[in-house]
Order: sequence, then structure tokens, then C-alpha cells
Amino acid sequence: MGPELVQGLKYLAAGICMGIGAIGPALGEGRIGASALESMARQPEMANTLLRNMIIADAIAETTGIYSLLVSIMILFVV
Amino acid sequence: MFATVGKDLVFRFRVGPILLALNPVTLGTAGGLLLIIVGLALWIRRGIPKDPEDTPPRRVVLLLTFLEFVENQVLGGMAKGLRRSLLPLIATLFIYVLSCNLSSILPIPGMAAPTQDLNVTLGLALLVYLLTHIYGIRTKGGLRHVKSYLEPIPVMLPMNLIGDMGRTISHGFRLFGNILGGAIMLAVTFPILVDLSLRFRWILGILLILLGLGMAAVFRRWGNRRAFHMAAGVATGVAILLVAHVWLPLLWATPLVLVLGTVAGFVLNGFFGVFAGVIQALVFTLLAASYIQVAAE
Repeated sequence: MGPELVQGLKYLAAGICMGIGAIGPALGEGRIGASALESMARQPEMANTLLRNMIIADAIAETTGIYSLLVSIMILFVV
Repeated sequence: MFATVGKDLVFRFRVGPILLALNPVTLGTAGGLLLIIVGLALWIRRGIPKDPEDTPPRRVVLLLTFLEFVENQVLGGMAKGLRRSLLPLIATLFIYVLSCNLSSILPIPGMAAPTQDLNVTLGLALLVYLLTHIYGIRTKGGLRHVKSYLEPIPVMLPMNLIGDMGRTISHGFRLFGNILGGAIMLAVTFPILVDLSLRFRWILGILLILLGLGMAAVFRRWGNRRAFHMAAGVATGVAILLVAHVWLPLLWATPLVLVLGTVAGFVLNGFFGVFAGVIQALVFTLLAASYIQVAAE
């Protein structure tokens, strides 16, 4: 394999890694946001607590997306 | 490209068998921020009045408002005693991470947020990990704290240990990845926007041609001596068209890039720098508080 092919495959791999890795967090954060909004509409007095817990849950759901971002960065710039 | 993310300038040296690496950008920024924060803290502390009946100056009230926000929003669901003992730590962590994140938007060449460096974020995560043990031992006692690793059944011990490790690593990597990702997005998007604005400067030329034609039409309507004014208007239009076609692309390129670059920099820095920075600092402190709470209760 020539170096150009390797370089191209790296870009492809980084793109696939980030693209597929973003699906899970996107779905999860969407669900979290939807249910949080639903609960806030039902109980507006709980909005502060719900917002805090929503941000924590978002951050935890985001973790795999961040991992795939880091793997993509490593594929592109480090390996 | 790593010049804009602050990763290119690393000193590597060897102390005996250990290979060390120092990033002067990270060290300088983090140290500078530390000095600024400590200076501000001392300045605010000097403003606290001796007599509690006196009205405090505005800076003290500002700090009190911030502490109240942290106590109610970040540490809301905790027991009162734990909340009070955690408040200074969590507020300090929030201020430090927030100012580290926001330092990336300062217009200083070569500036990079310290939180773009994994060493800083993982160090902070390890600090929080250490504190979970300290608070666990302080509130539950050493034996019960160790025993909490054998729950629900003793076979779960390796699972609990791996879970602890993964939690700490993801705590550090989350902040690092978010801030570095934003910085890379900025570094990638900004040159593309400037390049696009250079490449599509002919849009401005077309606008100027339309302006010339419009001027020609206006001259034609105003004129008494129609033919003369029409000729003058068309000549003006053609002149502007020629100038726009030949000269103005060169002339207008720099201001156009400046304007578009300013707008793009404002929007991109606003989103990836300020918005993501505040949210990530909040997330980092919220998670730190909840990890310590889980260990302490």
C-alpha cells in the first residue's frame, strides 16, 4: 500500500469512527432532553433539580462520543 | 495545525530513567490563571468588613451570589453538613476549570486553554478521585469505606475497582475531549471560512455592478437632457463595473476577510469557547460533587 492510500484510509477511518460514534450519544441525549422537558412541563417547580440531573446525564451519555472523538483525533494526528 | 491547539511546543528531557515532557503553554497559562485567581481572592477577602453589621462592598456581594448559586444549583441534593464542607472545594474547582476553559478565547497568539492538555484534566480528575476516598473515610470510617467496595457481594470487588478507574478516566477525558474538540473545530473551521470569503469575493463585485446599473437608471430618470444623462449613467455603470471587475477584488479582499473573519471568530468563539466552556466546567464540577456525594453517603 502506498502512503497516499494509507493517508486516505486514515481520513476514512476517522470519519467513520466519529460518525458512528456520534449516533449513540445523539440518541441518548435526545431521549434525556425529551424526558427532562416533559417532566419540567409537568412539574415546573422541579425545573432546577431536573436541569442539574439532565446535565449530569447528558455528560455521562456523551462519554462514548468523546471517546470516539479522541480515537478519531488519534487516528488523524498521532498514529 | 497543532500550533493553534498548543500542542507543538513541548520540551522533553530525561531525569535518570524517566522521560519527562513539559508544555510551557499549559504551564504558563495555568500558572498565570492561578496567580490571577489567588490575587482576586485576596482582593475580595480584604473587602470583607470587620463588623458583620456593615454593608459589604460589591465584590464581596458578587462572590456571595456566586457561592449561593453553587450551593443551590451544584450541591442542591446533598445533606447540609456535607454541602457546607464541600462548598469551598467545589466553588474553587468551578472557578478554576471555568477560567481555564475561557482562557482559550483570549486574543493572545499561541494561547491554548490548559484544559486542552490531558495532564491538567486528568490531574484534576485524580484529585477528585482522591477526595472521594478522603470524604468516604471521613464520613463513614475506614472500615465501612473499604467494605463499600465489597457490596453488594464480595465477588463484585474487581468490578467496583474497574468502575472507579473508568469513572475517573472518563471524568478527565470528558473535559479534555470537549475542549480539545472545540479548539480543533475552531482551528479547522476558521481558515475554511476565510478561504471561502476570499474565494467568493466576486459576489461583492456583482453587487457593485448592480449598483452601477442602478445609478445609470437613476440618472436616466432624473435627466432633462435624456440622451446625455443616459450616456453618463451608462458610462458610470460601465466604469464601476470595470473597476469592480478589475480592481476591487484586490481592494476589497482584505476588508471582506476582516469583516467575515471577525463575525466568524465571534460566532465560533462564542459557541466553542464560551458556551461549551461554561457547560463543561459546570458538568465537571457537578460530576465531581456527585462522585464525592456517592462515596460519602
